[in-house]
Amino acid sequence: MMRASRALGALKLIGLLTFMAFIILPLIQMTLISFIATLAHPDAEVGTLTLRNYRAIWSDPNLRAAFVNSIAYVLINICITVPVAIPAAYAFSRMSFVGDKHLFLAFIAFRITPPVVLTLPIFQLFSTLGIVNSVFGIALAHCLFNLPISIWILQGFISSIPREMDETAFLDGYSRPGFIWKILLPQIAPGIAVTAFFCFMFSWVEVVFARILTTTNGKPISMALSALFGFQTDIGLVMAVTAASMIPGAILLFAMRSHLSRGFKIGKV
Amino acid sequence: MKDRTNSGWLFVLPAAVVLGMVGLIPLITVVNYSFFEIFILDARFWIGTEWYADIIGSDRFWASFGRSALFSALILGVQIPLGIAIALCIPRNKLWVGITLVIVALPLLVPWNMIPSLWLSLLNPESGILGRVLPVVGWPSDWKLSIPHTWAVLVVMDVWHWTSLVVILCYSALTTIPPSYYQAAAIDGAGPWQVFRFIQLPQLYNVLLMAVLLRFMDSFMIYTEAFPINAGGPNGATMFLAVDLGEEIKAFNYGPSAARSVICFLIILIVAWSFSKAQGKLDERHPA
Repeated sequence: MMRASRALGALKLIGLLTFMAFIILPLIQMTLISFIATLAHPDAEVGTLTLRNYRAIWSDPNLRAAFVNSIAYVLINICITVPVAIPAAYAFSRMSFVGDKHLFLAFIAFRITPPVVLTLPIFQLFSTLGIVNSVFGIALAHCLFNLPISIWILQGFISSIPREMDETAFLDGYSRPGFIWKILLPQIAPGIAVTAFFCFMFSWVEVVFARILTTTNGKPISMALSALFGFQTDIGLVMAVTAASMIPGAILLFAMRSHLSRGFKIGKV
Repeated sequence: MKDRTNSGWLFVLPAAVVLGMVGLIPLITVVNYSFFEIFILDARFWIGTEWYADIIGSDRFWASFGRSALFSALILGVQIPLGIAIALCIPRNKLWVGITLVIVALPLLVPWNMIPSLWLSLLNPESGILGRVLPVVGWPSDWKLSIPHTWAVLVVMDVWHWTSLVVILCYSALTTIPPSYYQAAAIDGAGPWQVFRFIQLPQLYNVLLMAVLLRFMDSFMIYTEAFPINAGGPNGATMFLAVDLGEEIKAFNYGPSAARSVICFLIILIVAWSFSKAQGKLDERHPA
């Protein structure tokens, strides 16, 4: 029995390490290329080891702007998504109202609607509203998939809080909004953090909306990367930008690790 | 019991307004376009359901539909079991959990348009790590001409990209199992398989449903990552549903692309509906 469980432990470790090696392999390739000069430059021959690709991110105004744009639209998206999702998640968790199931179904359907299906009309609508080529447009478009998923995650967190807490609060004279604001929010703070992280994760890397909504201005990192491809592609620079774009997410992920591993339950209506 | 009150609508109203704007209004526009022949947006005339008849009757649509279905089946068949297995392998030690989760989730942080580039450079016969090793085991350098090889690259790439999501979801569900369950199982002398079957798996049902829904839809409608690998080739063998649609949109065929979009959305609705039915079934069996 002891030996069997030790063998199982070893097997698990090997399995995990193999999977992690598979995950890291393309990233090693990326990192290697990002430190190599892949085009001839005055200060570096092709094929030499160099830091110039990373320095170029800092010195190129377009790339710098792309990082600022990406951070901006993700933050705006979170600022729209989370405050809108909290009351909705509360309602789905605690109240039953006419059409709640249908509404939830519609939300799920929008989450799984691929952006490519809606590209054309979204572009037209946003042109009319005058929010194309701006970070605000992308932030709003990304609500299509981030809002349903946020409601879903938050609803799980809210449902795990005992209903007695609501009832006690109502007896103490709290209104529903007052209860959400003063009592519920501190309780689901980890849930809000997890939600914001998922919004970041899905929004940071999205390209379909980002492409059609930024033809001249407000390009995020992914589009700045696309723009780097051309007749002579400096693939080293491309890889350096990709690697750099992953750093904020990795830091956030590490900071969020305890919340992610505490488990969030996916709720129902 | 939930409170029966229609004031719930006030709470969901902001979310409904936002989704109405970025989801419902564009959708209605698409439905509208799908009944017109449109040269430029100001000049269009009604042609009824002609586009739909064209699409439903075309081999091209059904072929891409079949390819997408096969791709989804492969992806789900690999990613869901693999994701569960890896989630079970993650150690309990606090520090290692953090490090493992970060490494495992790294592919989720790569911009989508760079994922094909990463894999193409990895497979580059001259400079790629895999590209230089693979010919030893018989991988052809002109793999882009071969249908099975192109499919293999796409599937492995998607497994690389998205298995992490399944792992994270499953892992987070596994951590909600109280330690007392495991102790009880140990007292009863349950083996690893029984622990998995009767303690861990039931905890996973809910997140697995979510994982299956997300992975099914996203792989069925794969677009951004699929095209650059081999431009839908060889001979259109990797022209998936959404790739085909994307090409139609790029060619500014408003009418046909709108009709295709509506058909895609009908598929989405069917999937979402079956999903909510499945969830209802789960809740009956395992009331929360």
